[in-house]
Amino acid sequence: MNKMQTVLINELKPFLNAIAEQMDLYVPKKTGTHYIYNRYDLSAETCVEFNNIRTCMPVKEFLFPLRELAAVFPEPFEPKEIKPFVVFGLKDCDLRSIEVLDKVFTEEEFEDPFYVNRREKMFIISSDCSEPAQSCFCNVLDGRPFAQSGFDLNVSQVKNGFIIEVGSRKGEDFIETYPDLFTMAGDALLAERDKNRAETQNQLEQNNTDLKFDKPVNEIVENSWDSNVYDQEAKTCVECQACTRVCPTCHCFYLYDTKQRDYFAKMKMWDSCMRLKYAEVAGGANPRKILGDRLRHRFMHKFSYFLDRYGIDMCVGCGRCVDAEAGEVDIRKVLKKLNEELKGKDKAKAEAAK
Amino acid sequence: MNRNLYQPINGGIVDIIDESPTIKSFVVVLEETFKFETGQFVELTLPGEGEAPFTPSSSPSDTKKMEITIMKAGRVTALLHECEKGQKVGIRGPYGKGYPIEDFVGKEIYIIGGGLGLAPIRSLFLTLVERIKDFKSVVCRFGAKTPDDFIYKNTLFDTWQKIEGVDIKLTVDEVNGNWAGNTGVVTTILARHDVNVPNAVAVVCGPPIMMKFSTLKLLEFGFGPKQIYLSMEKNMSCGVGKCGHCMLGKYYVCKEGPVFAYDQIMAYPNIWD
Repeated sequence: MNKMQTVLINELKPFLNAIAEQMDLYVPKKTGTHYIYNRYDLSAETCVEFNNIRTCMPVKEFLFPLRELAAVFPEPFEPKEIKPFVVFGLKDCDLRSIEVLDKVFTEEEFEDPFYVNRREKMFIISSDCSEPAQSCFCNVLDGRPFAQSGFDLNVSQVKNGFIIEVGSRKGEDFIETYPDLFTMAGDALLAERDKNRAETQNQLEQNNTDLKFDKPVNEIVENSWDSNVYDQEAKTCVECQACTRVCPTCHCFYLYDTKQRDYFAKMKMWDSCMRLKYAEVAGGANPRKILGDRLRHRFMHKFSYFLDRYGIDMCVGCGRCVDAEAGEVDIRKVLKKLNEELKGKDKAKAEAAK
Repeated sequence: MNRNLYQPINGGIVDIIDESPTIKSFVVVLEETFKFETGQFVELTLPGEGEAPFTPSSSPSDTKKMEITIMKAGRVTALLHECEKGQKVGIRGPYGKGYPIEDFVGKEIYIIGGGLGLAPIRSLFLTLVERIKDFKSVVCRFGAKTPDDFIYKNTLFDTWQKIEGVDIKLTVDEVNGNWAGNTGVVTTILARHDVNVPNAVAVVCGPPIMMKFSTLKLLEFGFGPKQIYLSMEKNMSCGVGKCGHCMLGKYYVCKEGPVFAYDQIMAYPNIWD
């Protein structure tokens, strides 16, 4: 028998039911204009929605929750057994953000046991984007409106159903467990899928035609130590930290201790480098008292420091920070301004050298 | 599951030494063997209250107990100052990179310290004097606000000064009571010929303003940026290069520091803030 690497299914429901029989399944549900994740209920007659765009909250919530127990004193605690779980509808930007988080939390020397535990139990079903938002700019940072790698199964919507592509051994095992559910997807269907993908890619590129850089983004950002763009752009920031909360790659956290009735607990909770006292030390010194300096640090971390350390950008271009922004700080606009500024500097240098 | 890196090793405070009006040393004994290198730091947990980073002030060769000198500066340190002998604590670590002692062999070691900066320096000093013959000399220039504010008075004013191969000079910003020594900030007792610069390394630890001006003075004396080692104080929280609080440019101070050669960090603005 041929290996079933790409198969077709007419409806999502039987497929998701089969998955939910084996593992806890989370599916997107439209709430207002956004998709959020809900636990899939096998018994209910829920209508399954295919999200054409990334969900509102980032995938990090599944791997690195907002708040979690990190340690117990004096007796260490046995962490809860994590059941295998499935997240359906992740996009390329989400998968690339997992790659970023993996770099940080699965480092050999200092592995975060809670992250690793969840990561090992996570089954990923990604899906293609067909309606990128105005804020999406993944194409500028090597992203695509369809998963490139890092999935167990990927779903692409076509006219007569859904094409499912295998991306891992785990995914292959699943498909082979349910041979009756699927039929092989022929070349015509794959051509249809590729055409859809190209159209979305085209749409993305059109949306971002004015987001062109004259130099690699890291170089643009690395040259912005003396730039006042950050101070200017931070003027409308209300310091709500939403940008870092919804960011799928931001992973700052803080540890704090609490008293429970019969034990002490050390907790781990998301933090934000945009917070005023984030870097302050006990004596009161603070290297980034000024808001613009904190914005610069965020850009440096995303586009320079992380790349330097791990070889990839810490921004996947999902645009969630743009959507969540309460003021008018726009990551694309900041990058554009920095690009213009560097272009001006380079031009002045070239002229001076003449 | 691997060992949980957020789980402290249990221990207790077995002794408390008053060092100055605002500084105490806590002697900690742990329930597990604990090894560290001089200059590395630990995260000390006061259960239920909080955690803070400190560089031990004892020598790593003392594996039975560890001493941690703490100034009352914030919430956790204020609570620690109220603790009594027998208090249970937790320790995570050791973290980061300490002083590259092996690179110091055969050299003159010029140690400049101020205030609480003498805590990590004490650990280094004790480590050096344990094998003093390996080094050309150990030249110390220490400062404090007033004579009372010097920590480790018993040894600093006495036995340390008598060790062969060690040269110690002290200064205070202002005099209260008996003081026959120098008055002025620490840079006023730094002299070009304290050490033979080409064969020396400098170690600076103290308040940011003192580190800044000492570094400038050392550069003026002809020290290269690679010859100057600085202990950077940042908000180290996780200790393992993840939580982000201690970032200094591209470095995680908890991982690549807290001891840096000046040339690693000199390009960043505001390193002294």
